[in-house]
Amino acid sequence: MAEITLEKVVKKYGAVGVVHGIDLAIAHQEFVVLVGPSGCGKSTTLRMIAGLEDITGGLVKIGGTVVNDLPPRKRNISMVFQNYALYPHMDVRANLGFGLKIAGQSPAEITKRVSEAAEILGLTPLLDRTPAELSGGQRQRVAMGRAIVRNPDAFLFDEPLSNLDAKLRGQMRAEIKKLHQTVKTTVVYVTHDQVEAMTLADRIVVMRDGHIEQVGTPMEVFNHPLTTFVATFIGSPPMNLLPATITGGAVQLSDGSTVPVPDRLRGFVTEGMKVQLGIRPDDISPIGHGLSQDGPGAELRLTVALAEPLGMESLIYTHIAGQEVQAKLYGPRIVQPGETLDFRLALDRAHLFDAATGRSVRAA
Amino acid sequence: MSATVESQGSKRLKAIGLWLATFLLMLVMCVPGLWVMLSGFRPNREILAKPPIWVPQELTLDNFGKIFGWGAEQIAIPVPAYFTNSLIIALTSTLIALGVGMAGGYAFARFRFRAKGALFLGLMLFRTVPGIALSLPIFMIWSRLGLIDTKLGLIIVYVSLNVPFTIWLIDGFFRQIPLSLSEAAQVDGCTRWQAFWKIEFPLARSGIASAGVFAFLTSWNEFALASQLTRSTDSKTLPVGLLDFTAQFTIDWAGMCAMAVIIIIPALILTFIVQKHLIAGLTFGGVKG
Amino acid sequence: MIKAFTTRRPEMTPFLLLAPAMIIMLFVVAVPLVFSLWTSMTPYQLTKPQTIHSFIGFRNYARLLTDSAFWIPFGRTVLFLTIALNVEFALGLGIALLINKITWGQRGLRTIMMFPMMFSPILVGFQFKFIFNDNIGILNNALQSLGLTDQAIPWLVDGKLAMFSIIFAEVWMSTSVFAILLLAGLFAMPRDPLEAARVDGCNAFQVFRHITLPFLMPFAYIAMTIRSLDVARAYDIVKVMTGGGPAGRTELLWTLIARTGYENSKMGMANAMAFVSTILSILFTYYFYRKLLAARRFMGGVQ
Repeated sequence: MAEITLEKVVKKYGAVGVVHGIDLAIAHQEFVVLVGPSGCGKSTTLRMIAGLEDITGGLVKIGGTVVNDLPPRKRNISMVFQNYALYPHMDVRANLGFGLKIAGQSPAEITKRVSEAAEILGLTPLLDRTPAELSGGQRQRVAMGRAIVRNPDAFLFDEPLSNLDAKLRGQMRAEIKKLHQTVKTTVVYVTHDQVEAMTLADRIVVMRDGHIEQVGTPMEVFNHPLTTFVATFIGSPPMNLLPATITGGAVQLSDGSTVPVPDRLRGFVTEGMKVQLGIRPDDISPIGHGLSQDGPGAELRLTVALAEPLGMESLIYTHIAGQEVQAKLYGPRIVQPGETLDFRLALDRAHLFDAATGRSVRAA
Repeated sequence: MSATVESQGSKRLKAIGLWLATFLLMLVMCVPGLWVMLSGFRPNREILAKPPIWVPQELTLDNFGKIFGWGAEQIAIPVPAYFTNSLIIALTSTLIALGVGMAGGYAFARFRFRAKGALFLGLMLFRTVPGIALSLPIFMIWSRLGLIDTKLGLIIVYVSLNVPFTIWLIDGFFRQIPLSLSEAAQVDGCTRWQAFWKIEFPLARSGIASAGVFAFLTSWNEFALASQLTRSTDSKTLPVGLLDFTAQFTIDWAGMCAMAVIIIIPALILTFIVQKHLIAGLTFGGVKG
Repeated sequence: MIKAFTTRRPEMTPFLLLAPAMIIMLFVVAVPLVFSLWTSMTPYQLTKPQTIHSFIGFRNYARLLTDSAFWIPFGRTVLFLTIALNVEFALGLGIALLINKITWGQRGLRTIMMFPMMFSPILVGFQFKFIFNDNIGILNNALQSLGLTDQAIPWLVDGKLAMFSIIFAEVWMSTSVFAILLLAGLFAMPRDPLEAARVDGCNAFQVFRHITLPFLMPFAYIAMTIRSLDVARAYDIVKVMTGGGPAGRTELLWTLIARTGYENSKMGMANAMAFVSTILSILFTYYFYRKLLAARRFMGGVQ
């Protein structure tokens, strides 16, 4: 059993705080992704779990044991690094077997486990090559092989795909997912790429400035962002945010126009409240070209500023209440700048955030 | 049409100019050394001949036989003893400097600590003290400690001479190695010590070897300090011994040239073995921040 | 013991690793320098051992300030360094550019360039003493055989020619440091800025002046810093070539120190001179090291 628990974990470099008291419980065999912009403390958190950074305050437990003062080698974890960190002076076989050799395993055992791992990852024909003779994707697989061969309690991934090109990244993402289904080990995975987070995670941890913004399954985080930060960070293109005031039971935008308060949020707002109306581009579409046509909505006549055709859909830049917003048009239709179209806002999927705190009105 | 012909002509002229300049350059770089080395194999009378003999009429090993005391004709200068002294002193001081420099270079490359930049600069500034200036107080102190004219005395001095530069070079080489390799090894079950010996050291090995060659050359070639701190065959080194020749009544040019060959050969061999790493070491140490 | 230390106080580990270096530098350089400073404030003479105990403050330094027998070699040393280093830099740059242009045998040429670097300075001195010898030297032999002159040119006997010969030897020995480092810089030079400049309409000279040269400066400063560590090796060359002669015309600060201290036994005075020369060297190194750091920051870790 290898659940990982962080209790009020703090990291400071001198006087500068990087991680400000994080609480997180990761279940046995769970795949958790820490995601956030660079500098949010996600890598530092991972490195504290690995034992590569001292923990300034709080507790880190792996499998119920406090590991704060244990060196990396005593934590029974393995880690895949951003630059793979393959040992350049050893061939693939020796790279895979290094940890086992250090642990004093017998040569027969090492050979057996190395070939098993190589088999899982399709590395068998490459065992005699050195890292310099491998492609990016192959190096990535060797790094993963080195992680699984030791049969650790947990895998830690530190932005493992960021050095690969887009196509390979997609492939490796699928391989990591498959690998987790095969070996079923607890995984903590750090990335700044929200697509990786969405596709890989059992649960996503969105971090910002050394704090956790939200923890939840990918769909929870996507459908119910707790803060404007999460709302704009998860999902691409990002959610549009429009400043507004609750007036007469409706959402009044800055130009005086109003849209109704979504039914499910009606109980959470008060008259005169300053809010931000959050709505994803997918939920603003020209009538007849949207994802969903039923449910409560609001119709607006808008002028297209710019359209980016993407084939079966187009991304449209337009303005609502004087503010630029992005909208989506589904279907192979071409629109021209300057064209005026009737748009429908799918209000059942809109969000309201407290303008003062940036938190969802549901959470306040 | 004519323009292209012309530009082709001027291109060829440029190529010839380039070739000529390079040739002259190499001539100036190589001829003085080679002339001395060649003269080590010529009899003294041919060197002194007037009018000069340009093409060597006879090549001989007599000069070497003479200074090593093999032949019938012998000289009073105990070159074999100097050679042994030089070798012992240079090798020992190099090994110690490498050990000390590896620890120090690793500290600079891998740790953050207070006053790091100032310490590094301080080391460099110590190295810059002119040998002859340093020799005065060391001469006085060593006299009191009984270290004058001992190999140990010179070895200690040479270690201090080599440590700063060795640290500089080795720091550069360790910084070349991504930190994540050592971290990966530690996650793989190594102690920091094991991670150093199994991963970082093998990767820095060629760099460390080249730092060793620089240290060896410095010790092997040093004169200012050695000339004041040594007296006899107990500790005198080859560069000091070379000046023994000038103390004699007539200058034995052929003998000196032969001795020059003996001084230069080990340096030559060592440098060519690691020459690629020498250049890399010098640049990495300095440019990579 | 060490392990217990490092695990309990991890912030002490680097100091522990640096301890041997610190101890050695302390005992072989720092302590002697303090001793040297003390001695420079005494009238200590090797022949009168008790004189080391009589403190005379800065009287030695005051005497130096007014003594032309000190100022002339001091000025000559500064001049010598200025000329030698500038010539080395200019030649080194020229050689690096030349070899960078050549398409064949670059590595071989680079290896040949290392040739002078492995010569002991004492050997370089001897080598040029042999070559510049007015009677049997290859240079005079060649000039006479070619009929360029019918008399022996007194390369090492005439004061001005002797200084020239010494500078020549110094430049021969040390130009390679510049050439090799600048060549490494040229090899490491990214192509994009060069091409961008050419597209922007720069001619060959402008590209060199505004792109290549600034990029090379950190490499030049490394070379300068390395050179500044051992400029005093010129002592060896002078010692063997002329011994400071004729009539003191090639006396440099360093040969003067040796003469004053060891030959004339005036250790107090010699230490005062040594201190001046040490400060000169330290300022020199410090200056180029700062330049190196600044240039490195400017490049922002280009490669």
